[in-house]
Amino acid sequence: MAETSTSVIASARPALDEALLKAVAATLGGDAAQVSRRLEALARYETAADPDRVRHLWRFTNPASLLPASVAGAAASGPVPAPAAPVAGASVTIDLWPGRAPAVQTAEDLPVGALTFTAADEPFPSGKALASDLFGALGDAAWNAGVGLKVADGAKLAGPIHVRIHASAAASLPRLRLEVGRNAEAMLVEQHIGGGPDVCVVGRTVISAADGARVRHAVVQVWEPGTSGHLAVETRAGADADILTVCGVFGGDDTKLELGTDLAGAGAHSEIIGVALVAGKQHADVHTSHRHLAAHTSSRIDYKAVAGQQARSTYTGLIRIEDRATHCEAYQENRNLLLSSRARADAIPELEIHNQEVSCSHGATIAPVDPEQLFYLGSRGLSPHESMGLVVRGFLENTLARLPDDARAMVESFTAPRLATIREGTA
Amino acid sequence: MSDAFLNPDHPSVVFACRGVRVFVKDGDTEKQIVRGVDLTVRRGEKHALMGPNGSGKSTLAAALMGHPSYRVEGDIWLNGERIDTLEPHERARRGLFLSFQYPVAVPGVTVANFLRASLAARRGTEIPVRAFRQELNAAFETMSIDPSFITRYLNDGFSGGEKKKLEILQMLLLKPAFSLLDETDSGLDIDALKIVSDGINLASGPDNGLLLVTHYQRILNHVQPDVVHVFMNGHLVRTGGMELVTALEERGYDWLAEEAAIPEGSRA
Ligand SMILES: Nc1ncnc2c1ncn2[C@@H]1O[C@H](COP(=O)(O)OP(=O)(O)OP(=O)(O)O)[C@@H](O)[C@H]1O
Ligand SMILES: [Mg+2]
Repeated sequence: MAETSTSVIASARPALDEALLKAVAATLGGDAAQVSRRLEALARYETAADPDRVRHLWRFTNPASLLPASVAGAAASGPVPAPAAPVAGASVTIDLWPGRAPAVQTAEDLPVGALTFTAADEPFPSGKALASDLFGALGDAAWNAGVGLKVADGAKLAGPIHVRIHASAAASLPRLRLEVGRNAEAMLVEQHIGGGPDVCVVGRTVISAADGARVRHAVVQVWEPGTSGHLAVETRAGADADILTVCGVFGGDDTKLELGTDLAGAGAHSEIIGVALVAGKQHADVHTSHRHLAAHTSSRIDYKAVAGQQARSTYTGLIRIEDRATHCEAYQENRNLLLSSRARADAIPELEIHNQEVSCSHGATIAPVDPEQLFYLGSRGLSPHESMGLVVRGFLENTLARLPDDARAMVESFTAPRLATIREGTA
Repeated sequence: MSDAFLNPDHPSVVFACRGVRVFVKDGDTEKQIVRGVDLTVRRGEKHALMGPNGSGKSTLAAALMGHPSYRVEGDIWLNGERIDTLEPHERARRGLFLSFQYPVAVPGVTVANFLRASLAARRGTEIPVRAFRQELNAAFETMSIDPSFITRYLNDGFSGGEKKKLEILQMLLLKPAFSLLDETDSGLDIDALKIVSDGINLASGPDNGLLLVTHYQRILNHVQPDVVHVFMNGHLVRTGGMELVTALEERGYDWLAEEAAIPEGSRA
């Protein structure tokens, strides 16, 4: 069985070569160092093992459906897009378009020196938290839009770094790099927009939070129907660093989001709060991985998915606690609400614990909407449509309530319209 | 007194049904729970419905409200209009109300948000926040429910008595034309029973009606029904006044079953 799927993936891998990668680098104005990093990644790509479909991570999603058919057009630079207004309240608004240098709009009150730009693809010296390197190597080699940012030690940005990532090319390969200095505070909002039929996105974000840093990171995916894509986020947390990752999966057809967090320094804390709302024939796959590498680290995951019509939600989550990482705490919870008898959800939480001095818990539930709830609400005058809306919002409520007010408002600005469309035809 | 010969769409009738039969799925076949119920309630009337456990009282009430998992035969009128093909929310918007024997919890939905949505649905218009707050506070006071419940999740972790009080609070706010009250007195302490009864009486007026399902005389002493029905084995077997309640308290249900010639095996 594994062999069959391997060959399918192998034939689905888009072809890469040196000339193409040099052309992409040239389009973005990349230097020689960038070119050599791309060529190193090319070597990795050529030897990268296929994602293992037997193991949980890829059991429910075919990686071949998330690969672009070709990246031959990756070096093409499209027409210059009309500049969009900066996001209100943001310290920096950045638009990333495939084949173009980033468009940066900086707020006037941004303190000098607090935020500097770096290469978008320079690797951090860290272990790798995600299992498959195929997508990582592809992105590292052929990325065609990207920005790197560094928040200075001790700096506290007043507003978020808001990055609008436009999936405007058939092969959109964005990447983000954020380095948050010691005791610095920053919020990164990564908004994935655009896309359409035959658009495929392979995105990669790497974040490093130095000791004592406080990072809030939101990944919101609202692609147009027809889009497929794989987004990977790798975060490394130093000692006493505090990371909050908020994810919202709403758009696209077949999508996978992988969030890998290494709790590398003692006392680091990571919390992931996620919601997915899918309908039609969407398939939203979310994977989280928390690796506890140091003592006294803690992690918490609360991920909820709502699937209507024939949609499908998949969650796989791994908590791995190394033997030296004593006195850790890890919680993982995944709940799925099915709005229709044809909707489907799969959830596989996994624990790998290599020492005894830890406190861990995990749980997953998959349940349809309770018809008695709908009858009760109906008996009070609420239409099936209104009742379903209340039940779904109620389902998400205690998760959204964990978010800071501004993050909650932002997530709800996406959930509210998505909910309105999802409730249609939920039979 | 109720008049079975009154036309169900007569202006003095608030609620009526004829030949109501209720079937539930039972494997590949159907099981009949309610076997033909005729009821006529005039404006201003309060009816009581008593009957043994498992006789089908809750099934009848839920079916009249339009519960989707039952197949229902027969005709139902509310304010002269046929409602038997309408969905539950359409019946509710026209003024039908069901106080549940077991109110359902909806986690994550606050009592305030739920009540505001249902009031808007019943009245056909959004209610301004301030006016809603005032109305809500008054109703909470009437029902002696702590205002902190306004921000709690609907029926989530409520005690049995708290749930029942909230049901009657909804009756007060929604001002139904006709209320089906299914064992609203069950599980209430003496004070709560008084509060709930007072609430029911407050919500009752010359234009509306109710059917109160109960096992106990105590709430009937408070509510003073005009008509009392006895329900057994899916039928209304006897209709009378409060004297019927006294007779049931003394003699139980068996004598009625014998009179109605219900075979011993199916006296539920
Ligand atoms: N969906 C269903 N499927 C199978 N049987 C059902 C269903 N609904 C009700 N019944 C059965 O119908 C009968 C009547 O139930 P119902 O709850 O209406 O009784 P009740 O008169 O309200 O009893 P109680 O006084 O205990 O509340 C019971 O035997 C019950 O088990
Ligand atoms: Mg009952």
